[in-house]
Amino acid sequence: MDTSRYAELFLTESREHLSAINHALLEMEQNGGTADTVGALFRAVHTVKGMSATMGYHDVADLSHELETLLERVRRGDLAVTSPLMDVLFKAADTLESAIENAVADGPPVKIAKIIERLKAISTDTASGNGGNGGSAPRRTSGKAARQRAAKKAATPLSVPTVRADPGTIVKVTLVADTPLPGVRAVMVLSKIRALGQVVAVDPPEDDFGHDGFNGCFTCTMIGPALAPEIEQAVRSAGDVDTVQITGAPVLAARRGTTVLQAVGNEETGVKQQRHVRIDLRRLDSLMNLIGELVITRGRLFEIGRGLADPALDDSLAQASRLIGDLQDEIMTCRMVPVWQVFDRFPRLVRDAARTLGKDVTLEIEGKEIELDRSMLDEIGDPIVHLLRNAVDHGIETPDERTKQGKPAVGRLTLSAARDRSNVLIRVSDDGRGIDRGKVLRKARDTGLIDPATAELTDEELMRLISKPGFSTAEAVTEISGRGVGIDAVQNRVRALGGSVDIRTAPGRGTTVTARLPLTLAIMRALLARVANEVYAIPMAHVRETISLDGANVSTLQGKPVLLLREVVMPLVRLRDVVGLPGRVIEAGDDAEQAIVVELADKEVAVVVDQLPGQQEIVVKQFDGVRGGLNLFTGATILGDGAPALIVDVSSLF
Amino acid sequence: MLICDDAIFMRTMVGDILTQAGFEVVGEAETGLQAVEKYKQLRPDLVTMDIVMPDMGGIDAVREITKFDANAKILMCSAMGQQALVVEAIQAGAKDFVVKPFQPSRVLEAVQRVLG
Repeated sequence: MDTSRYAELFLTESREHLSAINHALLEMEQNGGTADTVGALFRAVHTVKGMSATMGYHDVADLSHELETLLERVRRGDLAVTSPLMDVLFKAADTLESAIENAVADGPPVKIAKIIERLKAISTDTASGNGGNGGSAPRRTSGKAARQRAAKKAATPLSVPTVRADPGTIVKVTLVADTPLPGVRAVMVLSKIRALGQVVAVDPPEDDFGHDGFNGCFTCTMIGPALAPEIEQAVRSAGDVDTVQITGAPVLAARRGTTVLQAVGNEETGVKQQRHVRIDLRRLDSLMNLIGELVITRGRLFEIGRGLADPALDDSLAQASRLIGDLQDEIMTCRMVPVWQVFDRFPRLVRDAARTLGKDVTLEIEGKEIELDRSMLDEIGDPIVHLLRNAVDHGIETPDERTKQGKPAVGRLTLSAARDRSNVLIRVSDDGRGIDRGKVLRKARDTGLIDPATAELTDEELMRLISKPGFSTAEAVTEISGRGVGIDAVQNRVRALGGSVDIRTAPGRGTTVTARLPLTLAIMRALLARVANEVYAIPMAHVRETISLDGANVSTLQGKPVLLLREVVMPLVRLRDVVGLPGRVIEAGDDAEQAIVVELADKEVAVVVDQLPGQQEIVVKQFDGVRGGLNLFTGATILGDGAPALIVDVSSLF
Repeated sequence: MLICDDAIFMRTMVGDILTQAGFEVVGEAETGLQAVEKYKQLRPDLVTMDIVMPDMGGIDAVREITKFDANAKILMCSAMGQQALVVEAIQAGAKDFVVKPFQPSRVLEAVQRVLG
């Protein structure tokens, strides 16, 4: 069957289960594996196994099967939760994750043989140690099932043929060759036969049905009045029966009374409305797009309305406008997803980072339920990872150091999300050593980044300095956060999303970094810039100021035009040249050219345009770009007057 | 039809198989407890039941449902390697079983068998 259309659903759900697996593993490491934790872990792995087998992802299925086998032993208490065991489990979970991602993406196969071997080694090691199942293949038998079977066995020793005067009816059943779980099917067949009479012997014994060697063929002896056709019908009703041979059945017998099956009444089965539906993300994107265009049309209608000055039209427009606004809010809400969908993988990440660095850190997560636009949520994961790694690496001290300073040995790291009007604040806060202002100040003075006379740094100046690319006070390069280029990467990313970053730090008490993000990426505020007859949109998040070039201090440095603005020299770029429009012939009476000071990661560039028609909320439409064309734009939008405008990729200007 | 599985993926797939064959899916359950509750509420003609689910496993759910309705028609959905559990489920009152990975033809065969 074609499973490809389920791939996305499979991936989404598998990720949820992987997250559950990681959580359970972390919990297990801490509490030694309570029944609840191991149970949850087992269920998650088991579900992944079932799903991946259905999708035909054999690597994933095999790996989860081995993992499940091992967990089953842990669940039964055969296997103690030890640090080496946890390491293997964590490793297996990681491999499982890459195997899943790869299977869905159809990427190169992930090497799973090694980890499977390690899992197997642990499984079998203790198996022989416990002498549990001896030579037979490990059977997944719950204690209850085993007990029940034992009880039944004691009551009717089925495997021992009973010598009787009545030889009984011998029924030989062969199941269809490729039937799944033949043992179970055989049990079902047997229970059908039992409904017709007393089964006195089964060969091979019923208990062997579950063994790998069972080939789906068995013979049983029953005593009862049932006729051969009756028996055959009963046997076949169990399903997957190939042949039935019946010998010695009574030729004539009194018909047994048939049980009248009670009809299952379902008159009152009112179809209950499901309260949730799953919607393809692309549908929501296109809804968002449509509502965006509706918002634009609304603007146009208003303009027309103003010209006509008809009170009745104005009323209807106001009404329509409110409805469009409500609709926009509703659709925005549909696209919102709780941040835990991304936050959920961080406890594991912090644990791993802390372990590598020999630190002890607990991560607290607040505001998990806060919601953010799906598109935004996908983008903020990496910056947060950066911040968390930074905090564990540079912020939080080693347990020794902390104890010496009278702090608790375990460092506290908090990740929180909070709503602030139309923004979401994501905050990473640690109780570590804080940023050494003295050190930053010295380094900034040494490298000439600030006035040598500066005696103290404000938080803003500090932020500005540490977000300079390559500015780092870290002495050593570590595996965890590299050279400390974290902050500028974070800032660039957050800026690109239309947000801002702010930092607060106190020596000895820790550092808090706050990223302020808009709720969505789909709508942003942009400055409109006109060049010749074309209008371009520049995201406001990058615009620092605009000036008229008339009388501005423009000169040339090393053959390139520069703008000197309040003693800062910045490159001067003509948007006209960048987009490849012909040069402008300035005529008398033309307005002076305008310059937009655009900033990115503390670098500035002055962009020269003809006119600045204003700023407005724009609806961002994804943009595939032209093949072989310039990589200058991040998307496109439709303006209030219906004209299209390209959205300038600010980073391409530098 | 009532579909009980903790994985949406599985519910969707089983649901599609059944719907395409002309059956109507009247409800879904994610846990054993939900399965029992929904069974009582919806009285479906047939229940597909996963074995491993949170809260209450499929086997206990089978017990509860058959306690409520001795003629309940329950089809177990099992993964490979759950032989003993499937036997337990059958003994608890389930009427038949299918094994993941599902082949639509097998699922429908089993459904027909159970519906008799």
